[in-house]
Amino acid sequence: MPRIRTKFFQEIDYTDSSLFHFPCGLPGFEQERDFVFVNRPGSHPLLFMQSACTAELCFVLLPVFAVAPHYQLDLDEEALAELQLPPTRQPVIGEDILCAVIVCARGNHEPPTVNLLAPVVVNLRDRIGFQIIQTQAGYSHRHPLVPQEELAPCS
Amino acid sequence: MLVMRRRAGESFLLGDDIEIQVLQVSGTRVKLGISAPASVVIVRREVRLTQDENQTAARSVSPHAIESLLNALPSLTVPRPADPGVKTLTNQIT
Repeated sequence: MPRIRTKFFQEIDYTDSSLFHFPCGLPGFEQERDFVFVNRPGSHPLLFMQSACTAELCFVLLPVFAVAPHYQLDLDEEALAELQLPPTRQPVIGEDILCAVIVCARGNHEPPTVNLLAPVVVNLRDRIGFQIIQTQAGYSHRHPLVPQEELAPCS
Repeated sequence: MLVMRRRAGESFLLGDDIEIQVLQVSGTRVKLGISAPASVVIVRREVRLTQDENQTAARSVSPHAIESLLNALPSLTVPRPADPGVKTLTNQIT
């Protein structure tokens, strides 16, 4: 069984059925084509997206509905074709596809944000993924993970 | 910001060797044709934002950041099974 070094979990074994291929990589990481998705009961609902070839590269994601319960994913014909999904209907999140957003935890002084503009979308059957930019709905690339009003000081 | 009105078929120049032509206007969408030297990087703004955001996200992930994130997340609950192909580990984060 193939084994990879990871950023947070030392070495892990994986099978082909848990390797996801990103034909274009991710924006900014175009050479990173293969990832393993990992979850861990103690870290629920976070999802770790570990590069299969660079141990030091691991993104932290959240399922899109955990952040934005009414998120509207709109895949155009081109995106459906790239993902090898049927062109006739939008895929069902959680059944046909995994749709998750990358978390950016900048530090103690800046609240964590998620990139709702560009969700990671993976065809669960064929294990092909893309980060797909969703310009139609005005989603932010720095959507606050915790609603801003909860962070406001009490007056 | 310079504001300019152009019709389909008209173009404008940026410097000496970049030309941007309005090819088609339909509803809220505009189709542009860009002629520029190969050395000029042309990227949609939202792709650049995502490139930068991915770089920052990758750099900022640490066991400490994950712990703070989990503390900030108690209100998020997603009671559903893992997606197929997602590995479940019980390792400690190191």
